[in-house]
Amino acid sequence: MAWKSAAFLRRAEREDLDTVVSWMEDPDFLRFLYGDAARSPKQIRENIVAMLGRTTGQTMPGGVYLLIDSKEDGPIGLISLQNISWRNRSCSIDVYIGAKSMRAGMVAGVSWYRAMEYCFDELNLHRISAFIYEFNSASWRILERSGAKREMTLQEHVARDGKLYAMYCYGLLRDEFNALREEVAGKLKGKSLAEMIAAQRDEVAEPAS
Amino acid sequence: MITGNHAVIRTTDSDDAPFLQRLYADWPPRSSLLDRKRELIVPTADELRELLGRKDNPATALLAVEDLTGTVRGFCGLRQAGPELAYGELLLMLFDELHYREPLALETFAYLCKNAFAEKRLNKLLAHCLDTEPEWRGFLTGRGFTCDGKQRDVFFTRGEWHDLESFSLLRGAV
Repeated sequence: MAWKSAAFLRRAEREDLDTVVSWMEDPDFLRFLYGDAARSPKQIRENIVAMLGRTTGQTMPGGVYLLIDSKEDGPIGLISLQNISWRNRSCSIDVYIGAKSMRAGMVAGVSWYRAMEYCFDELNLHRISAFIYEFNSASWRILERSGAKREMTLQEHVARDGKLYAMYCYGLLRDEFNALREEVAGKLKGKSLAEMIAAQRDEVAEPAS
Repeated sequence: MITGNHAVIRTTDSDDAPFLQRLYADWPPRSSLLDRKRELIVPTADELRELLGRKDNPATALLAVEDLTGTVRGFCGLRQAGPELAYGELLLMLFDELHYREPLALETFAYLCKNAFAEKRLNKLLAHCLDTEPEWRGFLTGRGFTCDGKQRDVFFTRGEWHDLESFSLLRGAV
């Protein structure tokens, strides 16, 4: 069956604050990504404001925060590109799907693919890293399907619910992404970043009556 | 100040800035000096003096390693992760790579291990190693560190990509 969702990526803005704060307060966000459960909503809000402030349209930002949005469903998730090194042409990436029902679906995979296109084709990066806890199998499976290599396993690295878990480090190089692109070109027809941008542009040019 | 049979370990002060600057200027670059983005910054002597003068900042808790004649042979320390993460990063930067084979290095390592596992109660020590640091790598594997893997093409300098290997030593293995 064809994938019908019209989810798209856009830069996160200040008006997204309430949505992002609600995701960050979600126990799943704290478990799968990072954060301190004891942080107050005010502190979370201040952190996000600072984060969104750093993502202004400068040519060489240290971080880029992209919202996965959808006309039908509203904001779905967040992609953050952090520690962007313009010297090493690398960054680390986190993908969080706030809408639980969509975590196992195509939205996460297609958004991840578009984020990779953005990193390699627009930011001209050479490498993407992702650090994922071992119990977050939905995320690391997407990475493995995209051709990323599990480069490191850090044993007993993070504590959750009184137990220590491993953290995996994945790396994806530009050549590996290009190989994936060739492989999935047919399957992802109409879903690339360029096609998404073109569709958005057409909507702006011809607003629905 | 900790005086051993081969090494003297002491806190640093602003007078150590020229020695630390020598490490930054050294070739090949030290993995321990790379920042979060795996970039090597090259601070001036003034910046290092200021950094070493800030006693309130735990991130600058570098210790100087001297031999028994009072000559600074390098620097060491533990870069601790957040309080909820029970691990720290081992730093041991000696000016001469061959010094990693000397008792001075072993004594310094024993001090850092005791500090990490017995005093700070850490669960794990991490260490990183660029592919240009064979002596440092040999030192780590010789002390029981196991390789966690290698991040490919993570650091770019002089027209080449370099890999960064990670090692860990669990408390139970000591």
